[in-house]
Amino acid sequence: MKERESIVNCLEQQVILYVEKEDGKFGPIQTGSYISANYLDDYFSKRKNLEFSLRTRVIDGEISPIYYYMVLEDLSISELAKRIGIRKSTVKKHFEPKCFAKCSVKILKKYSSVFNIPIANLLQIVLIKIDGHYESSSVLDDKTGKLSVVQSSTDNPYLSMTKIEESGK
Amino acid sequence: MIIENFKHKMAAHCESGTITSLLNYAGLQISEPLVFGISSGLFFGYFHKMKSFPFPTFIVRSKPGQMRVNIAKRLGIKFSEHSFHKNEEGARKLDELLNNNIPTASQVDFYYLDYVPSWERVHINVHFIVVIGKEDSNYIISDSYFPDLVKLKSTLLDSSRFAGGTMSPKGFIFHIAGIPSSIDYEAAIVKGIKKVCFNMLHIPLPFLGVKGIRLFSKKVVDWPNFTRDNEHLSHEIMKINILLEDQGTGGAGFRFMYATFLQEAAGILHKPELSDLSRHLMEIGDGWRELSLFAARIGKNRDLGPEKLKQLSGLILNRAEVEEKFFNKLSKVINKT
Repeated sequence: MKERESIVNCLEQQVILYVEKEDGKFGPIQTGSYISANYLDDYFSKRKNLEFSLRTRVIDGEISPIYYYMVLEDLSISELAKRIGIRKSTVKKHFEPKCFAKCSVKILKKYSSVFNIPIANLLQIVLIKIDGHYESSSVLDDKTGKLSVVQSSTDNPYLSMTKIEESGK
Repeated sequence: MIIENFKHKMAAHCESGTITSLLNYAGLQISEPLVFGISSGLFFGYFHKMKSFPFPTFIVRSKPGQMRVNIAKRLGIKFSEHSFHKNEEGARKLDELLNNNIPTASQVDFYYLDYVPSWERVHINVHFIVVIGKEDSNYIISDSYFPDLVKLKSTLLDSSRFAGGTMSPKGFIFHIAGIPSSIDYEAAIVKGIKKVCFNMLHIPLPFLGVKGIRLFSKKVVDWPNFTRDNEHLSHEIMKINILLEDQGTGGAGFRFMYATFLQEAAGILHKPELSDLSRHLMEIGDGWRELSLFAARIGKNRDLGPEKLKQLSGLILNRAEVEEKFFNKLSKVINKT
């Protein structure tokens, strides 16, 4: 690839590409990510649609939040089971709302660590109203709204803080 | 504290970039493509069903961690390596090394690195970073995917070092323990190239090397059978572009970086044939890039009918044909050495 063909303007994601320079030598250049520059809107649109369809199924009692987060985070059942340290068949049971209700706090804590969310988010979905409709804070690009949800852990492993802040402040 | 003399530099790939920056800090001036080539980083594998992935996928590089092993073997570099059963022990050892001014590479799960944009964060346990300092409860990180040094909370570094799952890092860290006084680059390059040729042409498994590219071409048309809906298919097809171009490959699934290595190798081995082959590989890489742009385009347009997937399959099959010829030629040239 020629150097002049490789220039992409995308400050959010920079990459190193190896290209043919003007003098015919090959070497690295720092440029923007082509897919982030051109297709990020499409990625967020698909992610929001997926979140909405999963959220509807959780609300309808069809699936548990464990399944919701597993699909959203692109994990396989085997990988999730391995990360939690339980059998695959047990994870499958936790997909059912009835069995999810029997999960211990200890197990929920393990799931929340894998999904990198507070335990509280396994029992709630935080939504932000944007342009007249609600979006889950977990699938929002930080730049899309005036408000952002910042969730942080505390010294108590079972207590997190949820702050609603003005974006960029 | 921060290790002052460590020079942060972006690199195409996290593992070759990490090894290169550690070697450069230790006084060995070597380029990333040379590290990548000598360690036989180039590869191809297609995995139609693998428990750890929720969808068929492919890889374009050797097994994570293998680059360090091959560099140690072929250049005689000594690495000091540590894994841990307990998080506290892992944190203590890392702090001890930093206090001794030793830049330390760490294997981490990409997902917990909050300096990474949200859309890039995925659970993958084989990312490599260099830890070069600590200020209060933050570590100073040199991540070769980012233009500047970044900070990471110690709790997040701990989560990423001790994440469970496939290829769990177990707190794995390594640093340079010794560099030999003289290095036989010529022998190391020849070994590195021979191994890549073997991996691409002769591994007797249908999903690895050129055979793997053919399998990918055959199976991609079946992908709609594994998807939830058209948007899911679009996501997976567009991931072809991400895996080839965006996930630290230097473009075209490492082909551009390997071409750069061959050009450098031609000078070191005094073999102009390698220079010609490097130009040829750059063109092959252009074909991979054309394929990945095609995948991104049809994914974005949701133009994912059987005809388009067949066209994509054809582009992939074509890469298998040209790469088979290329690696046979490369094998002949290098075996004459």
